Amino acid sequence: MTLLEMKGITKRFDGVIANDGISLSVNRGEIHALMGENGAGKSTLMNILYGLLKPDAGEILVDGKAMDFTSPLGAIAAGIGMVHQTFRQFPNLTVWENLVFQNEPRQGPFVSADAARDFVRRLGSRHGLEIDPDSLVRDLAVGIRQRLEILKALSREARILILDEPTAVLTPQERDGLFSAMRELAGKGMALILVTHKIPEVIAITDKITVMRDGRVSGTLVTRGTNEAEIIRAMVGRNVPPTVASRVTSDARPMLSVKDLSVRKGAVTVVDDVSFDVRPGEIVGIAGVSGNGQPQLISAVMGLEPATGVVSIDGQDISRLPIARRRSAGISYVPEDRHLTGTAPAASIAENIVFGTHRNAAASSKGFLRKDAIRAQARKLIERFRVKAASEQLPIGSLSGGNMQKVVIAREVEHGSPLIIVEEPTRGVDVGAIEFIHQTLIAERDKGRAILVVSSDLTELLALSDRILVMFEGRINASLTGSDMNEDTVGRWMMGGAENR
Amino acid sequence: MIAGALDTKSRLAAILFSIAAAVVLGGLVVGLTGANPVSVYLEIAKGAVLGRGLDETLARSVPLVGMALAAAIALRAGLVNLGGDGQMLIGGLAAALVALYLPVPGAARAVLALAAAICAGGLYAWLAAILQLNLGIPFLIASLLFSYIARGLTSYLVRYPLRDPATGMPETYRVASGARLPAHIFDLPVSMAMVIMVVVAVVVVVNDRSGVNGFEWRMTGLNARFAQYSGVDLSRQTQRVAFLSGAMAGLVGALLILGQQYRFTDGALLAPGYTWSGLMAAVLAMASPIATIVTSVFFAALQVGGFSMERALGLPAVLTWVLQALIILCLAARPILFRKR
Ligand SMILES: Nc1ncnc2c1ncn2[C@@H]1O[C@H](COP(=O)(O)OP(=O)(O)OP(=O)(O)O)[C@@H](O)[C@H]1O
Ligand SMILES: [Mg+2]
Repeated sequence: MTLLEMKGITKRFDGVIANDGISLSVNRGEIHALMGENGAGKSTLMNILYGLLKPDAGEILVDGKAMDFTSPLGAIAAGIGMVHQTFRQFPNLTVWENLVFQNEPRQGPFVSADAARDFVRRLGSRHGLEIDPDSLVRDLAVGIRQRLEILKALSREARILILDEPTAVLTPQERDGLFSAMRELAGKGMALILVTHKIPEVIAITDKITVMRDGRVSGTLVTRGTNEAEIIRAMVGRNVPPTVASRVTSDARPMLSVKDLSVRKGAVTVVDDVSFDVRPGEIVGIAGVSGNGQPQLISAVMGLEPATGVVSIDGQDISRLPIARRRSAGISYVPEDRHLTGTAPAASIAENIVFGTHRNAAASSKGFLRKDAIRAQARKLIERFRVKAASEQLPIGSLSGGNMQKVVIAREVEHGSPLIIVEEPTRGVDVGAIEFIHQTLIAERDKGRAILVVSSDLTELLALSDRILVMFEGRINASLTGSDMNEDTVGRWMMGGAENR
Repeated sequence: MIAGALDTKSRLAAILFSIAAAVVLGGLVVGLTGANPVSVYLEIAKGAVLGRGLDETLARSVPLVGMALAAAIALRAGLVNLGGDGQMLIGGLAAALVALYLPVPGAARAVLALAAAICAGGLYAWLAAILQLNLGIPFLIASLLFSYIARGLTSYLVRYPLRDPATGMPETYRVASGARLPAHIFDLPVSMAMVIMVVVAVVVVVNDRSGVNGFEWRMTGLNARFAQYSGVDLSRQTQRVAFLSGAMAGLVGALLILGQQYRFTDGALLAPGYTWSGLMAAVLAMASPIATIVTSVFFAALQVGGFSMERALGLPAVLTWVLQALIILCLAARPILFRKR
């Protein structure tokens, strides 16, 4: 029983065909995966379905009826909901205020808060997605914020739910919660479309898979009858062997040395007396369930968060320096949020690549930019990191999510700093690119750089790290090497450690 | 702001569209009053470029381009400078004081008067930036409020301590002719003020297109957090940009005093509304310096044409201000009218 059908969808951006005659059909009660390399056109297709973009050609049928959306309002009315990768919420309002926004239950001219709270509770229990209507959104964990996003779609009677890379920001527990909610919704006859790069998830939860490549459908697979290798082949047209790094131990003098670092937020100590070293020629991974102080630790090391304790680079105390001076003392940094802090989306790719090193001799002389050299360098990196971009002059914001991430990594690696700090190196990046980024980081390690990686993806940390530090409640409660670096042991320490042994 | 993620081509299209739409709307307004829109526009165009009109347009362009660039420099770096009036007054006053009272030979006095105006206008804007950085008072507000202080202060000074008792007006003595900026260089229809403004404009454009500083300012305007991560010292940069924006306004004050009015008369600097026309020109140009120069010359022509149209047809010249405002409104409405999806 087909609920949604998209036929011959085509969308061009100047110079690029993002969608080239895409057809997709999803049945009632089906969880359908949409996969493909970075820039394959997945987000474009979903934005068309949700009425955010207008297709150049093609049609959308819901329940057999042709639709013509001029805005998301039309899509919502047709029963389509979307959970965006970046949440669209009011952080300073409560859950119920967010949920009933533009759909408020009224009592005379006023919003009836009681009716709204009641509505939220009933909606939550109907779908098994309970949530406290009175919490402030900014206080919620990411997983709960996502639940709110799903509830928002459900509150508008969605029958088709799009989830664009929903698990990228979730902990394993939150992910499992999401999956059981998805199964429940599918069981009620909804159609769900899951955009993701994570193959194990696709195998675990979906019924059908549509794989896109270069704006076309390159394969439609039934999940039960396929396997990881076949999916990857459809995605990238070749086999991608996973990177297995040989582990090394380094006894060089520490490049980064953190001593007794603490960060306090009001009465709460979010980073509690943390000490560790990162030596040249090693990759140190920081694991931990989200909310245990990892981002605050990195912010404190970078000088973005007031902290006590000592941070030094190559023996030089940098604890009192502002971020700019810390970076010039020898740190490259890939921040977690590339839109907010990693790029200026409206500036060109080349400008985004050179920014930060634009005062070096390679990029400028006597106060003037060497534009040709800057563009040549950008072209070189675009090619080397296989960024899918028509030209280095385009705004970086027009790149697909994964390609943007590749540009940021390329820039920071190319910096040549002795220490590289990377938060979530492969968030939103496709399989091929994950392997490429991993190999790049390992190659930099082998050149003698010190690398610190924070990731919520344990598989990634296990593949990359020579040593794993586990954070729990603001402390580093384990430093694991060798045979202790396996999913089980690390996982146990992530949950609190010793007593679970 | 309006200066979103538009590339050069669509930016140009946006500007041209706004002007065209405003001309049509303005024409409707004129039509409603019973006049013939075509002849009104014809008079404005003729008045702006024919005969003495061209000279007047060029003369008016000098302060307008200056004030527009003062706004654009700040806007480009993410600062909104609404205090152009105050910075221009303080700059003009500094220029007048030096030109009137500093005991050095004429030409040196002119040069020092310009330098004093640049410093005074710059420092005045810098003070507003310091308020933002240290006390959290937004620059937009502080700079605007400082304009009122400057108005009061200059008004008091020229009414009492600095007043020329020989005229019946609240104004200073006349600047000696040696300290004035020549209105014609080598008998060409080109004034010294014009030459100075051209040089300054070229510097601003080159810095924006190829300068390391201009690049940092622009990137900061696009994403301040990213700029901070990339090593820009935001506090120092805000102070610098504010200073330069104010310095530009101060320079305009000096050019008007030394090149046109020859004395500081209460209210005379602000009467033509250069700050606000300049701000509109910068917004229309989405803070790109080259585009700002073009739009501000266009506005100057529009205003000069308006006066001439008023003389010829008896319709109020304020119509051109209505046109300016309509252009900005159309620009702001464009993304809603033409949602590209
Ligand atoms: N607004 C835009 N302007 C120009 N090009 C665009 C725009 N949006 C997307 N593109 C281009 O369309 C192509 C498809 O992008 P899309 O975001 O759909 O990819 P994706 O499959 O979602 O990739 P990812 O996995 O990296 O998120 C890319 O080449 C991208 O650069
Ligand atoms: Mg995408």
